Amino acid sequence: MSHLLILVPFCCVIILNLPIRKVMRSLAPVAAIVLSLLQVVMVLCFDCHFWQTQFGIIGTFFKFNLVVDRLAILMLLCIGIVSFVTAVIARVLIKERKERFDFASLLLISLSALNGIVMVRDIFSLYVFLEIAAVISFILIAFKANLLAYEGAFKYIIFSAIASIFLLCGTSLLLITSGSTDFSLINASLTAQAFSPSIILAVGLFLVGLFIKAGVVPFHWWLPDAYSEAPSPVSVYLAGIVTKAVGVYALIRVAVSVFGMHKSICTVFLLLGAVTIVVGAVAAITQTDFKRMLSYSSISQVGYIILALGSASPLGIAAACFHLFNHAIFKSLLFVNAAAVELQTGTRDMDKVSGLSQRMPITGLTSVLGSLSCAGIPPLAGFWSKLLIVIALLSTGHFVYAVVAVLASVVTLGYFLVMQRKVFFGKISEEFSNIKEAGLGIVVPEIILAAITVGIGIFFPVILNRFILPLGG
Amino acid sequence: MNVKILFLPILLPFLAGILCILGRKQRIFAEGISLVAAAINLFIAFVLFGKNINFNLPWLSFGIDVSLRLYHFSAFIILAAAGFGFLITLYSLFFMRAKEHLGQFYAYLLISVAFINGAVLADNLVVLLFFWEGLLMSLFGMIAIGNKNAFKTATKAFVINGVTDLCMMIGIVLTAHLAGTLTISKINLPLGLGASIAFILLMIGAISKAGSMPFHSWIPDAATDAPLPFMALVPAALEKLLGIYFLARISLDMFQLTHESWLSVLLMTVGVITILLAVMMALVQKDYKRLLSYHAISQVGYMILGIGTAIPIGIIGGLFHMINHAMYKSCLFLTGGSVEKQVGTTNLEKLGGLGIKMPVTLICFVITAASISGVWPFNGFFSKELVYDAALERGLVFYLCAIAGSFFTAASFLKLGHAAFFGKPNPENNQVKEAPLGMLVPMIVIAAGCIIFGVFNSLPLKYLITPILGAKLNGHHFAGMPANIKLVVISVIVLVAAIVNHIFGASMKGSGLKALDYIRYAPILSGIYNKAEKKFFDPYEIGLKIVNLVSTLSWKIDRGIDWVYDKFSVKTIFGLSMRIRNLQNGNYSLYLVLSIVSAVLVFVLFFAAL
Repeated sequence: MSHLLILVPFCCVIILNLPIRKVMRSLAPVAAIVLSLLQVVMVLCFDCHFWQTQFGIIGTFFKFNLVVDRLAILMLLCIGIVSFVTAVIARVLIKERKERFDFASLLLISLSALNGIVMVRDIFSLYVFLEIAAVISFILIAFKANLLAYEGAFKYIIFSAIASIFLLCGTSLLLITSGSTDFSLINASLTAQAFSPSIILAVGLFLVGLFIKAGVVPFHWWLPDAYSEAPSPVSVYLAGIVTKAVGVYALIRVAVSVFGMHKSICTVFLLLGAVTIVVGAVAAITQTDFKRMLSYSSISQVGYIILALGSASPLGIAAACFHLFNHAIFKSLLFVNAAAVELQTGTRDMDKVSGLSQRMPITGLTSVLGSLSCAGIPPLAGFWSKLLIVIALLSTGHFVYAVVAVLASVVTLGYFLVMQRKVFFGKISEEFSNIKEAGLGIVVPEIILAAITVGIGIFFPVILNRFILPLGG
Repeated sequence: MNVKILFLPILLPFLAGILCILGRKQRIFAEGISLVAAAINLFIAFVLFGKNINFNLPWLSFGIDVSLRLYHFSAFIILAAAGFGFLITLYSLFFMRAKEHLGQFYAYLLISVAFINGAVLADNLVVLLFFWEGLLMSLFGMIAIGNKNAFKTATKAFVINGVTDLCMMIGIVLTAHLAGTLTISKINLPLGLGASIAFILLMIGAISKAGSMPFHSWIPDAATDAPLPFMALVPAALEKLLGIYFLARISLDMFQLTHESWLSVLLMTVGVITILLAVMMALVQKDYKRLLSYHAISQVGYMILGIGTAIPIGIIGGLFHMINHAMYKSCLFLTGGSVEKQVGTTNLEKLGGLGIKMPVTLICFVITAASISGVWPFNGFFSKELVYDAALERGLVFYLCAIAGSFFTAASFLKLGHAAFFGKPNPENNQVKEAPLGMLVPMIVIAAGCIIFGVFNSLPLKYLITPILGAKLNGHHFAGMPANIKLVVISVIVLVAAIVNHIFGASMKGSGLKALDYIRYAPILSGIYNKAEKKFFDPYEIGLKIVNLVSTLSWKIDRGIDWVYDKFSVKTIFGLSMRIRNLQNGNYSLYLVLSIVSAVLVFVLFFAAL
């Protein structure tokens, strides 16, 4: 069944692009919404065993080795939710029909690529899907087709290309040393051979490649431009899920399944994670562009995930996955808020707007929830995942890193409060005294995402035992 | 008789006091209520005198019960307090007329009486502490309604008494711990180490209430700032009664203080130091009330000295001196009050020759001044002789200090009388008349009491004082002329010397006021006096300096912490943030170089950690 998650969106794109395009143009955005919603529902309804069942002839044609475990389920759910939100707000934010059609097609291809990344079990297929997702991302970032968008896209292309080279080199070296590209086989041969120089090189190359993709400091240079110059739906999509699946999820998967959480890898994770947290959070504080600030915040939160991974304990890995999920939800929410503000006021400069909560109450409220969740304030979801991260670090004896994580959390709260005060609190300025709340197409996703982040926070005890702790294996 | 009558002397004045505050707009109302309440209180005190009543009501558990005990000593103090309360109220009707805060004044007066009754009746240390601390409230209020400096002085009095009451509170906890009970009448501790500490802590509370050094410094300030009847009532009478009462209780009943104990020596030392230092300050005062206030401090020394000797004659002398002092000092303040009321000032430089115009006041002054100086046959003479006798028995040095104090006391009252009632009249004061009858009556009554207690000294000694010690005295009552005639002769010589000294000093400077200036400006003393007048030795001021130092220090630490939070961390983070922002300058080759360098570093780290 798991093949369907890749094939259905892909086939759908092909059908939509058949010569009878007039009908399809209006159908494509709906198809994107329906398919992503269907993915959410399917993932929620069925467990891992359902996805592993072979499905007639498809299995004989596509001999991918696809595995769906709990982590993959979590990611599939995440991909479904964020894609759905993106597709919904894109209907509002992208005005022209042709552009809507193009966007929906690209989104569907990307969806199948992301699903592929989540489920594959050999590094070469992983590389292929990463490349598909990256190429789609270039196009999406440059979607507005102006100079700034090109600049953002160009930076991403270059960095992505470097990352691809690294990944490809790493893959070939691993293929040479272990004779296979399958995760488990490579893992077996790595444990058998210990660390020879070529393996060290291969692992290093692979890690750096994924670090670039994930936007970990000091490989984050492309990220703020790409996120802030992309159109709003693309920002949501990129920040919410693409970089997380392409970079962070791949990192988790490779580190856990292929490299087996070796001590030296963990050291690299811990150090880079801490640096990423601090640099991202500190840089966010003086940003005046709403989306750019969120980009740095995104960098910082990726740092938390990497840091949790570095603790190398089952709890740490579970906490990393949980934070990945939470981050996808609340960062998408915040980017949707930013999109709403940009749509209604025409600017992303936080110094130019003020008191928007008066006229945009739902956007204001949900942004407060998103911010507080991100800053780790109880009882929202972000608090629990950060708490688990800190506990994981403390229980493995990484006291200093735990302190860094907690202190950076204060800075996180700082920049979000600055943002709230500038944009949503206080008296509304004359210029914007007549603006309205954004339309249903934006408000509904905001409410859904906020409800998820609050709901996870409140029902955390149930979620912890049923979903989170098993993630660590 | 119902035992609940014991609540009457506490509740009646208290409720009357509350009424006075509520009806503060009507002057007559407050005056009427307080006079009636004071009169009834006096009557109740008469009725209660000579009775023994115990009352006990379990209250907070842990041994904290509402227990009251009326016996000879407490009945005596209540009677005395009620008497002074009534007379001062009567006096205030005339003195306080046309002054502000009348309702409050009477309220505090009555509440003071109520709380003193409560403290004296209390047979449980916690109940005692409750009333004892409650007195701070009325003390503060009474001083604060004075002139414009009064609030500061009230704060000073409050802080000093608050600190000493804290010592007393710790002492009470320690005593209760050692004795295993809070009931005063059941406590009888030998003076071991712990008990000695408890004794000292309780003693601090007691002598501070009585106004001894070094807890005295608010009294002279209050003399000039607070309303005068307050001075006549509280520091002169009620607080002495209560403080010395408690000191006697801890020395006689609660702890087994013997004359071998070092604590006895400590008490006597505190006593003589208080006598000497305070009287030396009294010598140089140029204000009627302020001069009296230093004597109010100095005389406490005799009481502490007497009780501190821990021998029967000394204790009897100390207690007798307590009641004598309350009488003559209160009357002296009242004469000061009538001078203030009629002349408008108590500055001795502006007074003079008032004796002809205010003959009754003069007579009262002379009687009471003779009492305080220890002139035969007034009451002060007899109590002082008893204390001298005891002091000589304990050590010559204590006796010499006490007798020196007597010399200075006499000298300063000669100066005061000379400056205020004799000498050259101030032309501005030609219209001055005698004080109204209502003010004269209390003065005359008290002055008469001084004579009666002196001439018929067996009366108070037999019926009031000696029963307090009871069986310990073996039938002695110390009445009549002092047994030791040699001491009497020395006392007379000292008094004569004081008069000679005054005549000599006054003729040298040509003025009664300046009769003692040669002491004031003596070579070494003048420097000390200068510093004392600038409050250099005031323990309160020294304490304030230390407190200010500590608070400045903590304020700076607080600012420092604030700076770290508000300035340092914010500036650091913003500075860092701007740096990172500047690094992200759009220079593409820089990004690439940084990334490649970082990749190399990651490899190195990876290698190093392997």
